[in-house]
Amino acid sequence: MNKKNPLTLVTAGLLVLIFLFLLLTFQVRKTDIAIVTQLGRHHKTISEPGFNFRIPWPIQKIYKFDNRVRAMDRKLEQTNTKDDFSILATIYIGWKIADPKMYMERFEDGNDQAAESALENLMRNAKNSIIGQHPLSALVSADESTLKFDQVEQEMLDMIKTPAAEEYGIEIVMLGIKQLGLPESTTQAVFERMIQERTALGSKIQAEGQRRASEIRAEADRLRQEIIAKAQAEARLIEGKADAEAAKSYKVFEENPELAILILRLNALEEALSERATLILDQGAEPLNLLQSSGSGN
Amino acid sequence: MNKERNIQKIGLINLVIMLIVPLVGAFVSQMTGSMTGLAAAIFFGIGTLVCAVTVFQMRLESREEAERLEFEELKSRPDATNLFQTDGEDSLDAKRSREQFERFFIPSFTTILVILMGGAAWFLNNAIQKAEVINGGTAIIALGFYAMLFLTLFLLGKYSTTLALLEGQRLLRPGGSYMMLGALLSMASAAVEAAVSLKFGKVDLIVSRVLLGVLIFVAIELSIGLIFEIYRPRIRGQRARLLYESRLVGLLGQPGGIISTVSQALDYQFGFKVSETWFYKAMEKAFVWIVLLQLGALFVSSMFVIVRPHEQALLERSGSPVGGVLTPGFHLKAPWPIDKVYRYNPKELQKINVGFVPPEDEQSQRVLLWTKQHNEEEFHMLVANADMTEDLDSESGEKVKRVPVNLLTVSIPVHFVIEDLEQWVYNHSDGPKLLEEIAYRETVRRLVNVDIQSVMAEGRAATADDLKNRIQKKADDAKMGIRVVFVGLQDVHPPMGGGEDGGVAAAYEGVNNASQGKETRALQAMEYRHTLVPGAHAEAKQTLENAEAYKYRVMAEAASLAAQFTNQMAAYKAAPNVFKERAHLKTVSKAMSKTRKYVITAGNTEDSVVLNLEEKIDQGLLGIDVKTPEEEKAEREKNKKP
Repeated sequence: MNKKNPLTLVTAGLLVLIFLFLLLTFQVRKTDIAIVTQLGRHHKTISEPGFNFRIPWPIQKIYKFDNRVRAMDRKLEQTNTKDDFSILATIYIGWKIADPKMYMERFEDGNDQAAESALENLMRNAKNSIIGQHPLSALVSADESTLKFDQVEQEMLDMIKTPAAEEYGIEIVMLGIKQLGLPESTTQAVFERMIQERTALGSKIQAEGQRRASEIRAEADRLRQEIIAKAQAEARLIEGKADAEAAKSYKVFEENPELAILILRLNALEEALSERATLILDQGAEPLNLLQSSGSGN
Repeated sequence: MNKERNIQKIGLINLVIMLIVPLVGAFVSQMTGSMTGLAAAIFFGIGTLVCAVTVFQMRLESREEAERLEFEELKSRPDATNLFQTDGEDSLDAKRSREQFERFFIPSFTTILVILMGGAAWFLNNAIQKAEVINGGTAIIALGFYAMLFLTLFLLGKYSTTLALLEGQRLLRPGGSYMMLGALLSMASAAVEAAVSLKFGKVDLIVSRVLLGVLIFVAIELSIGLIFEIYRPRIRGQRARLLYESRLVGLLGQPGGIISTVSQALDYQFGFKVSETWFYKAMEKAFVWIVLLQLGALFVSSMFVIVRPHEQALLERSGSPVGGVLTPGFHLKAPWPIDKVYRYNPKELQKINVGFVPPEDEQSQRVLLWTKQHNEEEFHMLVANADMTEDLDSESGEKVKRVPVNLLTVSIPVHFVIEDLEQWVYNHSDGPKLLEEIAYRETVRRLVNVDIQSVMAEGRAATADDLKNRIQKKADDAKMGIRVVFVGLQDVHPPMGGGEDGGVAAAYEGVNNASQGKETRALQAMEYRHTLVPGAHAEAKQTLENAEAYKYRVMAEAASLAAQFTNQMAAYKAAPNVFKERAHLKTVSKAMSKTRKYVITAGNTEDSVVLNLEEKIDQGLLGIDVKTPEEEKAEREKNKKP
């Protein structure tokens, strides 16, 4: 009855071994950096990955931190440029722990949220200070010579880097302007201006269309008048020539002007009475006088 | 009878204690803001309800037992009537009450309990979602409360569950189980408070989520029990199971009873002693070996790794990378926890979005218009304007360049793959986020230096190429180990803001419309020109032709007159007077033949002759009634009046 089951012994032994292994060792990954405290005091910092022994809690306590670059940004914030232009700006940074001991002391046993909160203060201060030293054209400009975007970022980085390293144990690896914007009311104003620009452009295009149409119509009218005037001039020339040519034929009338005049007058009379004429004649007129003599004869 | 009284007494004590415990739990959790404490208080409350029902059920069973004994006594009397000789058990009121209670009340109560648990789970989940990590301000006081609760619940719970193992004491089990679970939860809450005091506030949220899961599982278990109860074979004389009793709660409160709980459950559900079959007994004996074997297999399986075709893996020995990147295939390694493998899928195309949040269902949109929002969120980017203006600085008098900025909506997807897995994993804690920051920065940097018209039109492709190169360079500088595959300006347009009908975007369309209008007007003028000029040519031709006709006519007429005169000259020479008279008369007669003639004879010279020479003109255009301007005006005014 008192004989112990070997299986139970082996299992218990294994469990004890695993327990002891977990209790007395710890690993540090390449992504991590560890701080070992002993009875509440900093004992050592382990920055190389590998297997390590430890004295069990509560004598030694292990704090592990991410040793890699972390990115953080914060919300858009309104700020003023040197030329009094109100804009919204946000920046991002890439940061990593440079001095784990200082980092742990400064931020409640290495609380990342507390660290990011402190970094946010630094970022906001640097962003607003540096932007205030430059006109808007240093941040937004189609002219490369005016734009100082990279310089502005470098100035912000310089402003943050030293206090972050010396006071917080944090290395700022990179910094960049993530977004630029305009306050709501300014945004609306820009929208209205953009709309007005486009409206003006549209009106200009329409006016150009009107001008072009008028030009085409005027040109057409001018062409018409030119063509007709030219034709009329030519016609007059032709008619004149015709009259001159006709006059040559009339030389024959000079042989007997009296007869010619008679014939021409008779022709004119015939032509004049050719259409819807009414004659009121007395009975003495030729040849109606014949009516009178025959009547008196009767 | 003493036994029943004893049970009832213990049940009542349990109930009284369980009426106080939830109040204490709720108070402490309110004081500390601990979610674990809140979850524990919810379990305490459920335990109180269960204890109350069991006390009531104990009372019913006690009445039934008393009634049965009385019935037996009456039946055994010599003067007992036939009433007791027959099957008169049907007339026993207490028994019938108990049966009715089990048939109707218990399922109803269990259903209500499940609903309450569901509501409590929903409430707890909401509270956890809104909860913040707590600090250790009042943790020490809470620790004291929980220690007291643990002690009370453990002692009473252990006593009740131990008694419940005896015959006829089963009704102590549900309440006892909840008390034991309550003791466990008190201990867990105390441990959480200890962790909180050591600045591990997140432990509270983790444990509370576990308890939320337990609550949901218990609710599901009771629901399944309700359904199974419908199909359970009824065996005469067998007591119905207590539907509101949770095996999971019993198990958590007394983990040692897991096997007996399983066997009881199987026996109850199948209606025969499954736990007495040879198979069950063999499995029970081999259970430890099976578990050990499985653990051993698990350990051995940790000595090799198979990397799948699309994967790459990083092998770390005691946290230190060894062997570089593991390619697809079979690889040996030291067992866990010495060697650990982290798998990745580096060739998979990853995507980040700059300037927009895509809609959930991108495929549902068939047409994308500037004037209609087609993304979940769109951001306005500042863009330069080439038309710079200059102002004079009021203080220095120097010229200051002001930039009339524009706003642009851009949607830029960035596709990338991991080229160097070690760089990707070991250099940055959150690669996609960092790349997103870089991509945003480069987009902003590019847009602030490019004219809006350029980026929207001819400079679009160049901008995309430039962005791709910039992002790649920045990622290389940051040793991210990625390759940017694609950067596309898939959507670049003026924003919709500034108006109800599409705002700036609509104004841009207005310019297009104006351009079309311009072309239309020019074309209309061209149409006029094309009609007018050929008409003029026709008119000119007509004029010239008329002149030519005139020329022909005049010359022909002159020639004919000259020829006629030459001939008439001959006749005239022959008889001058006759010719003249003849020509005169011939002309007159010919001319007069077509005319209307009035011949007035000269009689009385004082007579006045009146001739009506008014002609009858044909009806035609002359017959149209043409009004004078005054007449027209008068008629219009007349028409205006109603």
